[in-house]
Amino acid sequence: MKAITKRSRLGKPALVSEISFYIILGIFCAACIIPFIFVIIISFSSEESIRSIGYSFAPVKWSTSAYEYVFQLGDQLWRSYFNSFFVTIVGTVTSLLMTIMYAYALFRKDFKYRNFFTFFAFFTTLFGGGLVPTYMVCKQLLYLSNNYAALIVPALISPFNIIIMRTFFISSIPNELIEAASIDGSGEYRTLFQIIIPIAKPGIATVGLLTALSYWNEWFLAMLYIRDAKYIPLQYLLMKMQNQADFLFKNASVIGVEASKMLKDLPSASLRMALVVFIVVPIAFAYPFFQRYIISGLTIGSVKG
Amino acid sequence: MKKIVALILVACMIIGAFAGCGKGNGGNGTDANGRPKDHVTLKMYFHGSNVSDDKKVLEEVNKYLDEKLNVTLEPIWGTWGDFDNNAVIAINGNDDVDIYFTCSWSADEYNLFAKRGAWVRLDNPENNLLEKYGKEVWNLLPEVLTTGAKIEGSDGFGVYAVPGYKDIACQLCWDINVPLLKKYGYTVDDIKNTDYYGLGEILAKVKAGEGDNFYPLLIEGAVAERMVDNSIIVAGDSGSTNLLSYYINPKKTSDLGAYGNKILNKFATDEYKKYVTKTREYFLKGYIDPGLANAEQANNLRSEKQLTGQYLIGTQSYSLGYETQASAERGFEVAFVGTTPAYVDTTSSQGAMMAISTASKNPERAMMFLNLLNTDPYLFTLLDFGVEGVHYTKNSIGEVEFIENERAKYSPWTNGMGNVTLLPPQKGQGADFWTKFKAYYGAADKIPILGFTFNSDSVSNELAAVANAAAEYALTLSVGAVDPETVLPAFLKKLDDNGMQKIVDEANKQLETFLKNK
Repeated sequence: MKAITKRSRLGKPALVSEISFYIILGIFCAACIIPFIFVIIISFSSEESIRSIGYSFAPVKWSTSAYEYVFQLGDQLWRSYFNSFFVTIVGTVTSLLMTIMYAYALFRKDFKYRNFFTFFAFFTTLFGGGLVPTYMVCKQLLYLSNNYAALIVPALISPFNIIIMRTFFISSIPNELIEAASIDGSGEYRTLFQIIIPIAKPGIATVGLLTALSYWNEWFLAMLYIRDAKYIPLQYLLMKMQNQADFLFKNASVIGVEASKMLKDLPSASLRMALVVFIVVPIAFAYPFFQRYIISGLTIGSVKG
Repeated sequence: MKKIVALILVACMIIGAFAGCGKGNGGNGTDANGRPKDHVTLKMYFHGSNVSDDKKVLEEVNKYLDEKLNVTLEPIWGTWGDFDNNAVIAINGNDDVDIYFTCSWSADEYNLFAKRGAWVRLDNPENNLLEKYGKEVWNLLPEVLTTGAKIEGSDGFGVYAVPGYKDIACQLCWDINVPLLKKYGYTVDDIKNTDYYGLGEILAKVKAGEGDNFYPLLIEGAVAERMVDNSIIVAGDSGSTNLLSYYINPKKTSDLGAYGNKILNKFATDEYKKYVTKTREYFLKGYIDPGLANAEQANNLRSEKQLTGQYLIGTQSYSLGYETQASAERGFEVAFVGTTPAYVDTTSSQGAMMAISTASKNPERAMMFLNLLNTDPYLFTLLDFGVEGVHYTKNSIGEVEFIENERAKYSPWTNGMGNVTLLPPQKGQGADFWTKFKAYYGAADKIPILGFTFNSDSVSNELAAVANAAAEYALTLSVGAVDPETVLPAFLKKLDDNGMQKIVDEANKQLETFLKNK
């Protein structure tokens, strides 16, 4: 804040450029927020309205039937909601722990196999095992199917997050601090958990937010490893509804009479949008919570730099 | 560093090699007499199910199966939304699944995966599963099904799955709003006795009487075109917009049609031009709702108008007994008039099948199970309808009435399960429904190229490009929303530019080979 007021007193930016910046930012914000508002409007539109004029910002008739239907979905919906929360929370905490430890080891210059492990993590960003081998390892070797572990374990470590974390350690933690700690008799674990982590909070919050987001939005793992409706997360529930409708439309001519009957029972467009709202709202509330750390994370970098 | 890279690469190759070897094992079990001695669990992957609670059913099923075959069944209830992705992953990943649903239109397509070696050949002289354990079901199936199931696969020409006996024939019909037709002094016979090109007078009269906002022709463009021109989809074509067409004989479908045993680019035929020109005329006169030209909404719009009776003549792919069901759903009398007799093509004969996976450790037992499932009314009804008294009750004439609450939690897809003729009739179908069913579908003729499936591998690029062009033009042309005078030539040019002819030539080459081998 201080920096901004100071600068504006010193050399006031031209009014024109200031206005144009505001306009550009305004357009950008609108581009981000309008689709979401649109989704909310559609979720409150009545079916007839969608059928007669399509998706519109000003529907002919409003209705809450989609939400009523969602609440009637009952068990499966709340179960999936719970699954999504559970996987996100447990996944983020474990994933953060592992990322921090891996990144910390890579950050320590006195770690002998540092180069090897950096390469080891980096290599997987370039070459993946491919879908089928990954699937076979996870399912047949690690028994990751139809359990919560299947939704958490495959996404535990992200090389990208490790690299961010390591870079953050390098830029914010002086080596002397670690030396000082060890001279004072702190063991490796104490050094990491009581000295390094409190300093690195902004970085951890950033990585934590990224991880939480990716866990919350994860449906692919569920598609691969989950067959039991008990473990389906919210995202995949939505995905399935969408696929179901698409599939029946596409194959209506071969499935014949039955397909048209089934299509009639399927959740409508407004219902799908209502589910999107259900999915977006919790994670949108998580942002302000992390925001403080992210901003301070950014400024720490710039002040030091 | 170089050493490490080399090491990792070697490790990757070894893992890759192991992954590759995964297939092809299995298939050896022990032979058994009578009730097999060792207990096995069979996993079976279904399609299109809507099942959230199968406990009660499985209890009964497994009690019965234990007695009969010493088998426990573990179904995997694939849904419309997830089957395509998951089944393919499971097959490629060599999952421990014994039986898969397969057919000509799902992603684990019967022919394709037979060639890849995913299915056990059932009439392989080496194991002869069908001969040993599947005789009953094989003898019970209509000849069109057993013929249609014989294809070229990884172990030579033979049977790779047990076809389900369902509504195996295909018949496209005009869907007629009878009360409205009568209101203007016509009968269903008037429509039977004319054709698409002669409907003008009736449509004009009804349009004039019902007003500007009423559109009498409620057609699904592509379907109407096939009905009028007697063209059919060639199995293996590019999904939603069919590009290749084979022409059948509208009087007797086992005879050759107008073009003989040839596959054509339908958009370039005279029939097509005639159809779109007439449809354009109908469109301009206000007989066709412009909303039908919008791919996103056409389906919704049609079902909405069907339900509320805001149409005179529609199009419908028919299955036996649908007039009763449709009349009940819509609340007015509906009649169906077919443009051809019911016929069996590759797609419908391979419409629902059960294949034994080459990853199965007990293919013999799987075959025994499939045989029992397709011949035992108790087992089939139990697995499909649920437990009597819990999921359904029977009324005085033996028709099934579902108990809605329980049925909502357990509704597998009936046609995807096998021999549906084993089921008791449902409410409203009448006690002799299945006799009629067998008569109707048993009499259905096969088309001359039954069993042929186009393999698009060698022209997949062209096919994708052409399908894009077709997606752009075909729908609007087929409901008359654009002027064929200008649009049709542009469309044809675009098809040609993208290699349509190459696809047609390739299809005909494959068809010739197929007919020679047959």
